[in-house]
Amino acid sequence: MATLHEEIDNWLAADLYGELSEDEQRQLHTHLVDCAACRKTHQETKTMNKILEETLAQQKPDPAFEQRILAVFRNRIPERSGFVKLLSDLMRLRAAQITAVAAVLLGLVQLGRMMTGETATTLRGHEGYTNEGLFRQPSQVAATGQTRAGGLGKSDELAARQAKDMAVAKPEAAPGAISELRRFPATVAPANAAQTEVPAQETRSEAMSYATEPSPAETPAAATANRKLIRNATVQLEIVSFDDAVQKITAFASEEHGYVATTSSLKQANGKLRGEVVVKVLPENLDRFLQKIRGLGELKNQTLGSEDVTKAYFDTDARLKNARVMEQRLIEMLKTKTGKVSDLLQVEKELGRVREDIEKMQGELKYWDSQVQFATVTISLVEKDMEEPAAFLLKERSQLALYAPDVEKIYNDIKALASQKVQITNAQLNRDSSGRISATMSMLIAPEESEAVIGRTKGFGRVENFQTQTERIAQGGSGMSENAKTKRDKVELNITISREEQEQALQQTSLRIRTSSVDEKAKELRALAEKQGGRVRSSTFNRDPDGRELANVWLRVPMKNYVSLMQSLNSLGKVENVSVQRQDRTGTQVDEANAPADVSIQVYSQGNIVSHESGPLATLRRTLAQSAGAIMWSLRMIGVAIAFLAPWVIALVALIWITKRVIRARQARR
Amino acid sequence: MDASEREQYRAAIHGDREAFEMIIRAHSRTLFAIAYGILQNREEAEDVVQDSLVNAWKTRWRVRDPEKFPAWLATIARHRAHDVFRRRRGVPFTHETIETNEPETTDSAAIDQQLHSALAALPELHRAALTLRYFEEMDYRSIENMLGLTNGALRGILGRALASLRKQLRPALASMD
Repeated sequence: MATLHEEIDNWLAADLYGELSEDEQRQLHTHLVDCAACRKTHQETKTMNKILEETLAQQKPDPAFEQRILAVFRNRIPERSGFVKLLSDLMRLRAAQITAVAAVLLGLVQLGRMMTGETATTLRGHEGYTNEGLFRQPSQVAATGQTRAGGLGKSDELAARQAKDMAVAKPEAAPGAISELRRFPATVAPANAAQTEVPAQETRSEAMSYATEPSPAETPAAATANRKLIRNATVQLEIVSFDDAVQKITAFASEEHGYVATTSSLKQANGKLRGEVVVKVLPENLDRFLQKIRGLGELKNQTLGSEDVTKAYFDTDARLKNARVMEQRLIEMLKTKTGKVSDLLQVEKELGRVREDIEKMQGELKYWDSQVQFATVTISLVEKDMEEPAAFLLKERSQLALYAPDVEKIYNDIKALASQKVQITNAQLNRDSSGRISATMSMLIAPEESEAVIGRTKGFGRVENFQTQTERIAQGGSGMSENAKTKRDKVELNITISREEQEQALQQTSLRIRTSSVDEKAKELRALAEKQGGRVRSSTFNRDPDGRELANVWLRVPMKNYVSLMQSLNSLGKVENVSVQRQDRTGTQVDEANAPADVSIQVYSQGNIVSHESGPLATLRRTLAQSAGAIMWSLRMIGVAIAFLAPWVIALVALIWITKRVIRARQARR
Repeated sequence: MDASEREQYRAAIHGDREAFEMIIRAHSRTLFAIAYGILQNREEAEDVVQDSLVNAWKTRWRVRDPEKFPAWLATIARHRAHDVFRRRRGVPFTHETIETNEPETTDSAAIDQQLHSALAALPELHRAALTLRYFEEMDYRSIENMLGLTNGALRGILGRALASLRKQLRPALASMD
């Protein structure tokens, strides 16, 4: 530690500035009494302090210093006024900050919505619904009444006009006529003028009540007398019996002074009928007729339409009259026979054309007359349970997996089964590069033969798997039927044949036998296996530098011999670590007695074989490997994060750098 | 630092202008002392104070801890003054020539000049510490806070500064005694 003497400068300064504690002051004074050099320094320091005080006191800022600084500050940073100040004051509040952030987020969401075109469709949907509701009036309302109601819902103005029109057209007018009036309001304009003073609101409500009433199909009065309306209707009915329905329709038609124009019917595969009847009835009886028809069966669909041909009709009529006059004049011209021959020829030609026109127009008028005279009702009839199936077909599909020592022989045996009733559709024998052989076959068997053929095929080898799938297919319809017949189709059989060795063992056993003489015991083991009808699939023998011996033997025995083999193994040595794994295959038929069981046996000497996978060293190694893996993984994640962030960070830094440069440049210019 | 002071700094950081002006009133002399200590020139020091305050107002959001606000102001002033000082370095001190011309004038004006050059020879930090002490009569702890020094460092600094000055002015001092 430095002594007071060495640090005398610091002590003296601290003493000057009153920074010494009482104890320190005492120490200093004691030292000063003792040390002449320090005393001198002390003296000098005091003088120095005096000079400094005097000199620097002159340099102290004047009293107006703060005011000046403030003035300059205010000048250089002008106070924000009014709204901006209010806003910045407000933004100092935490609540305001949160609100602002929320608002910005909300704005972004809204913007995103607008950009993705996700607009609110609820309003339009609701409108659609109300219209629909109006259209779904009680079913007894005539179809025209429904369209009127829809019209009212859509536009008040239109409805008021319609209602006025209706008031003119007399309340008992047929609804069809009313809808026509709406379509051609000009034709009733003169009559309309007489009653315009009727308040629109009143007529409208009247119209509403009228529209919802069941239409009283009464004879149209004077208003429709000279109007040319073509009315037609289509009705779709589901009925029980087609013939009954046609009879009843004929009866109804004659009741209403109409007739059945055409009848057509078509018989389906399941014996059900579908057909169409066209009936002509007087237009004034149309509604009553439709009511009656509805009682026949379930109404599926009905449309009612009418076409006003009044204008076209009278136009054609007028043109016809003109053409007649023209014809008359041309005839007179021919009669007088003045003028040149060429002129006469011209007149002849013209007359021909006019006559053609007249005929065409007459035909048109006649057609309209006939159409107007009778309303056309097209009735589509469909018998109930149209979809019922006519028959069922039973399809059987079987799959058979066989294991056999000689695949080729069995392949040929099965092929030999082919006959009229057993058709082989596909047969394939495969031999791969490693000499493994397998075969797949498909055949179609007549239903009566199927049992026998499948039974014989099963006898060819060891059945590993047999599956049958039956499917009932409805024909000529769908669903259930009480009286449809069921037929058996040909049975499809798919066979795969593999060599026995390739078969997966039903049961796998592994065990260890500790013994002193490995080689000998392994030989004994082979002999044992042979005795039990097993086969040695492979075997190994190892001797390591420590003199430990290890023999591995893999055996395959039929399941029926498995138990006795396991018992005989006890005679070889101490059986350890027996583990049995059984693979039961559900849903398949397995010949269990002959199914193979694999046994893997390890015969070893010198009992202390320690696994490499245990012990402190192995644990340490594994821990190290895992931690290395974890480090690599986190490195990779860091890499991903950097790759993810880097472009943004670079962009941000570049932006800040540019902004700074710009600001600096601007300041430099100033 | 008491609670009201801290509240004032916090308000200033959040843009309260009145609070900031209060801070200007309270601290501009300190800043001046620092700037003068470095620059040894009143006009320049005043400019530095003004620039520093404007700069501080614009970048006030950088201060995380309101308690560090005065120290932060001091740092700005120091850096600013240092910049000015460096820019000026090309220009030679005029008083040095004066000093050589009349070294033996022992009246107060001459001592002034000598003191000036002695001060100029000190490190900036030492000068700033000295002026803070002599202008504002601040205690060691406050000066350390202001200049961002660790506890106890100032004792050595001021001791060495005084010793250095004393040695440079020894002839003048001797004559004064």
